[in-house]
Amino acid sequence: MSDSNLQRIAITGAGIVSPLGIGWKANEASFEADRMAFRPVPAELFGVEGFVAKTAGIVDLPPKVPMPIKTCYADRGSVMLMLALREALAQSGRSTMEGIDAMIIGTSAGAMSLGETYFETAVSDPGRHRRQLSRAEHYQPQRQMNEIAAELGWRGPIIIVSNACASGANAIGWGVEMIRSGRAKRVLAGGYDALAKLVFAGFDSLKALAPSGIPRPFDAARDGLALGEGAAVMILEAEDVRKAEALADVTGYATATDLHHLTQPDPMGNAAIRTMTQATLQSGLTPADIDYINSHGTGTPFNDVAEAQAISAWAGEATSRIAVSSTKSAMGHLLGGAGAVEAVICLMALRGQWMPASLNVREVDPAVKFDLVRTFRRAKVEHALTNSFGFGGTNATLVMKRRSA
Amino acid sequence: MNATGLHINGVGAVSPAGWSSAELLRVVRGKEELPVTNCPRPGIDRPWPCPVRTVPPVPPEKQVRHPRFRRVSAISRYAAAACLEALKDAGFETPPPRLGILFVMMNGCVNYTGRFYQEVLDNPAQASPLIFPETVFNAPASHIAALLGADGAVTTIIGNSNAIMEALDMASVWLSCGVCDHCLVVGAEECDWLSAEALTYYHEAHVASEGAGALLVSASGKGPAIQRIAGPLPFHSWKERNELIPSLALPASILIDDHNGIAKHDAAEAAAWSHLDFKTRHSPKKLLGESMGASAALQLVLATLECRDQQTSVAVSMPGCNTAAYGCVIGFDAEVGV
Repeated sequence: MSDSNLQRIAITGAGIVSPLGIGWKANEASFEADRMAFRPVPAELFGVEGFVAKTAGIVDLPPKVPMPIKTCYADRGSVMLMLALREALAQSGRSTMEGIDAMIIGTSAGAMSLGETYFETAVSDPGRHRRQLSRAEHYQPQRQMNEIAAELGWRGPIIIVSNACASGANAIGWGVEMIRSGRAKRVLAGGYDALAKLVFAGFDSLKALAPSGIPRPFDAARDGLALGEGAAVMILEAEDVRKAEALADVTGYATATDLHHLTQPDPMGNAAIRTMTQATLQSGLTPADIDYINSHGTGTPFNDVAEAQAISAWAGEATSRIAVSSTKSAMGHLLGGAGAVEAVICLMALRGQWMPASLNVREVDPAVKFDLVRTFRRAKVEHALTNSFGFGGTNATLVMKRRSA
Repeated sequence: MNATGLHINGVGAVSPAGWSSAELLRVVRGKEELPVTNCPRPGIDRPWPCPVRTVPPVPPEKQVRHPRFRRVSAISRYAAAACLEALKDAGFETPPPRLGILFVMMNGCVNYTGRFYQEVLDNPAQASPLIFPETVFNAPASHIAALLGADGAVTTIIGNSNAIMEALDMASVWLSCGVCDHCLVVGAEECDWLSAEALTYYHEAHVASEGAGALLVSASGKGPAIQRIAGPLPFHSWKERNELIPSLALPASILIDDHNGIAKHDAAEAAAWSHLDFKTRHSPKKLLGESMGASAALQLVLATLECRDQQTSVAVSMPGCNTAAYGCVIGFDAEVGV
């Protein structure tokens, strides 16, 4: 496909739910205040006895969120997604999903908590149990999404992308590709994940979680990530059908697979170099045009050095002029929701002309050659880029451009 | 929005019928009865039957020799074998460059997931870091990518039993956007006691199954093409599903349906297709069992094989279970290119 002939793709609505707050305004205020959201995992979510890490970025859900799914089968992640979805629809001047051609949602764990309950019930007694059928049904994320779609009176293809931590970015990227290929005119895309015991235990077993509970992306002595939860969605529209105000454009998307290892990145970040190169090229930009990068920046020793090397290799002499931060330092790693939430943060940065901070850095890692944003900064942001790298090696990069008022 | 015009240039399958698409075709054509066993529950007997039809042990020539495959789950092994067969069937002795991979599943790596979670419940401090990465939904796709050296677009989709149609649609988007030149679309699943038990909650006669079906698709080629697609026909309830199914009925010489032998499940589909005549009709699920994310993939493999062998059009009925229904026709006269 000729890069110069790309269909212009506008973002006309966005919704965000993160440990920093519910909605655009709450998140923006938290970034402005350089606020962090880590606290002990409450017992009502799951017990953390026996784990090294005890904290996470936790979303404070309102006591009652109207949901089409019976409370006991509504996954927390689905509730967050519903909130983000309603915000995005409202922002684009819609009360329903009418006119949306496809819903593409990324998730790493789906409704894992229901699967856990199913498992615990099954192993507690070999007999047959009430509610197991409904748990098995609602464990499937497509079922949860379908009930949300029904509530919104919408019928259309529901696609669930599960590429671990790149899921949300890939979902948005798929939406972009669908519109570019002419298959769709309007796509609702995003991602979500809620904290779940199995996933928490998994990262804890890998010793990937910061024992202190405080992630320090790009710090020389960083010792791991913190998990978080959240959801974000965007409404993407082809320019020729757009009616709502365009908040920004998605100008580039690329994905590649890092074959180095199932859980560890190639030390030189070769797949990341490819996705950043392709996404900027598709945008008609050079690295020097990128004002801000929301990095994958997990805070693990392997990820951050690989990403820093990749940014340097990709940007070359422009590296030192590019501002970079990791918002995972404030809210944790939202896994399947991370790519979507961080894309919406880029959108907020483009709209608000600011850059969120990489918090908790004491001594910058020597691999960092870029301009690490360490406190909230008002700045010109014309083009923003976000990276997402997942378990399994899925890398994704999105590039967005500011729309002038 | 669909994958009409995609060419299926190679197929591969692993199923309770065996470790090749030829064995799948033989069993289905011959309506061979495959053994059913009672799925054992670890540690304790279950006071009700839980029937399964599993994939037979892997023959030596189908063993995947790659470092990534030392401790992978069964789903990865099934998918790898099916993908390798599909590539070979398409004439690729080595994987082609710019190969995309779309992996479809409903349940995923359930064996390792159950095992890991049991370890967490027993003692979180001793839960194995070697097992956890294998529980992640996209671990099998990652292994296949590593095996084939596919470093471009690789994605996992979770969905309905017919989610492979969504994957085929995305494959056509990738091909038309130049993301890849060829795409492996694979649906796979592995059996475990948890999902086998879950199926019995739907109906006690369900036989849980496993396997993988792989399609090597391209924008052109000598293989048959997807000529027509009915769907997606989204539904929010079983009642709506049954009302929509008649829209799936597409004329062809051969029909591969979704019947599993449970009247409650099959009735609406049977009625929907009853006005059409078919030279041959296959119901692979009746013979193989319910393999969830792999089931429609195996139907499509079978359809491609019959289309190639009989040189005739084959309809596939994939009504699905919880989001959307699909039908399609595979034949040799593609009317629409991607």
